[in-house]
Amino acid sequence: MRQDLELEAIIEDYLNGKLTHEERVAFEQLRNNDPMVDHKVVAHKVFLESMAQYAHIVKLKEQMDAAHAHIDVVSLTEELKPHPSKLVRLWRGSKSAVAIAASFILLAMVSLYSIQNNNKQAGTFQAMSQDMAQIKRSQSGLIRDIKSIKTDNRNNNTGSRPRFGGSGFAISGNGYIVTNYHVVRGADSVHVQNSKGSYKVQSIYTDPVNDIAILKINDKSFDNLPTLPYTIKKGASGVGETVFTLGFPKDEIVLGDGYVSAKNGINGDTLAYQVAIPVNPGNSGGPLLDNNGNVVGIINGKENKTDGATFAVKSKYIMEALNAIPQDSLSRRVSYGKKSALKGLKRDRQFEKLQDYVFMIKVYNNN
Amino acid sequence: MSIKLSSSLPTDREVVLGILNNSVEALNKLYVSYFPMVLQFILNNNGDEDDAKDVYQEAIIVLYNKIKSGDFELSSKLKTYIYSVSRRIWLKKLAQHSKKTSNISDFEDVLIVEEDMEQHEQKDMQFDKMKVALESLGEPCKTIIEDFYINNQSMQEICEKFGYTNADNAKTQKYKCLQRLKKLFFQS
Repeated sequence: MRQDLELEAIIEDYLNGKLTHEERVAFEQLRNNDPMVDHKVVAHKVFLESMAQYAHIVKLKEQMDAAHAHIDVVSLTEELKPHPSKLVRLWRGSKSAVAIAASFILLAMVSLYSIQNNNKQAGTFQAMSQDMAQIKRSQSGLIRDIKSIKTDNRNNNTGSRPRFGGSGFAISGNGYIVTNYHVVRGADSVHVQNSKGSYKVQSIYTDPVNDIAILKINDKSFDNLPTLPYTIKKGASGVGETVFTLGFPKDEIVLGDGYVSAKNGINGDTLAYQVAIPVNPGNSGGPLLDNNGNVVGIINGKENKTDGATFAVKSKYIMEALNAIPQDSLSRRVSYGKKSALKGLKRDRQFEKLQDYVFMIKVYNNN
Repeated sequence: MSIKLSSSLPTDREVVLGILNNSVEALNKLYVSYFPMVLQFILNNNGDEDDAKDVYQEAIIVLYNKIKSGDFELSSKLKTYIYSVSRRIWLKKLAQHSKKTSNISDFEDVLIVEEDMEQHEQKDMQFDKMKVALESLGEPCKTIIEDFYINNQSMQEICEKFGYTNADNAKTQKYKCLQRLKKLFFQS
């Protein structure tokens, strides 16, 4: 036993590196020669390592216990224990999730608000197209305000100058012209002008609901126009159909190209199409034609905030307006074109043929 | 030992360097910083403050060993690591006591720490083996062994403490105790 004890002591010193060089060499030789000694060395090594690890963790725990003693666990527990209120628990448990949810809600509200705002704008426009009595000279109605243009119109019959401008087009060779009601509303006198001259007209029919007005040229200098090159389309136009318009956003006739972008106008207004076509103040009342030279509508407005959302009164309401004209107010029958002469022509040729039939409408107010 | 409880959270780098340098202060700072987080987790998942202490200390040991072993990279925040390890330990304890482990309320992001936990569980088994062996060793052997191997006292100090007449007697006593302990340790 004495021997064992000493061997054990040597093994431990050996493993701890406490032997001198000679002792170590001697011991290693003994270990190599005696498997029993070797086994003891290995076993003790494992044991010492486990013990060291054990000691290490025990110490660590002691240290942590010391640190733990400095923590006020009771009040922390009070503060952090499950809150009776589910709401608070939910909040604690998912602060980030709640924050994300909250930002989504905020975002949704902002977008909703802006959509609502858009709707509001649309709403005002709808009122305009459906109840023309309320229409103001807003930027939505595409009447050109030429008040500021100090032209030589001072010298004309009425002694005043044109206040507003719009467009219109002939629906018969004998001087009947269609335009928007809002263009001529409240006018004291109206003149139309094409490349051949300027003529005084008389309003013979107005339809505020459909925003249509029919004018009749009452001027001796007016010669009847040749047969209309276009017809008025009775049916509806499809979305995507290519259309073009002619009008007077300036003192010269301007061509605009586009397509029907929706079957209905603003807020589902079934009286109108939505058309993707660039228009400007002055285009109101201009004809909207398809490629075959059929009038499919009358440009009557656009949405303030959306680019390229123009609205046009459907052509079938022109027919309705014509049919509604009291027969006794017609000095001569309205004879609109039966056959389109524009079919198959290129746009430039169509423009050439059309330009004499599209009029600038000049509205004079005495007050 | 004074600990500033109100001191702000140590940076992760500070903690890692401190632990590598065996800094007691770094460990204390680390310990105090993240205990509330684990306490909250345990309290809200069917545990009490004692469970929290056990779980948290075990998690710190895992972190400590990982840092010491040198393969610790600051790929995540220490906070997240400690939380994930604590969570994993607590889930295992809950499962052992066949309590439900679904519906865990989480308070932090969770990392996958399986590999570290496997290593830790092996070490923990060794620790428990040694602990059981020491417990069943009985006095005075347990204290002699602990004084010598854990508290690093010399045989002379142990000799005086236990009133042995000479160092040889103490050595013999220690040898006997050690033989029994090794037997217990290796047999278990």
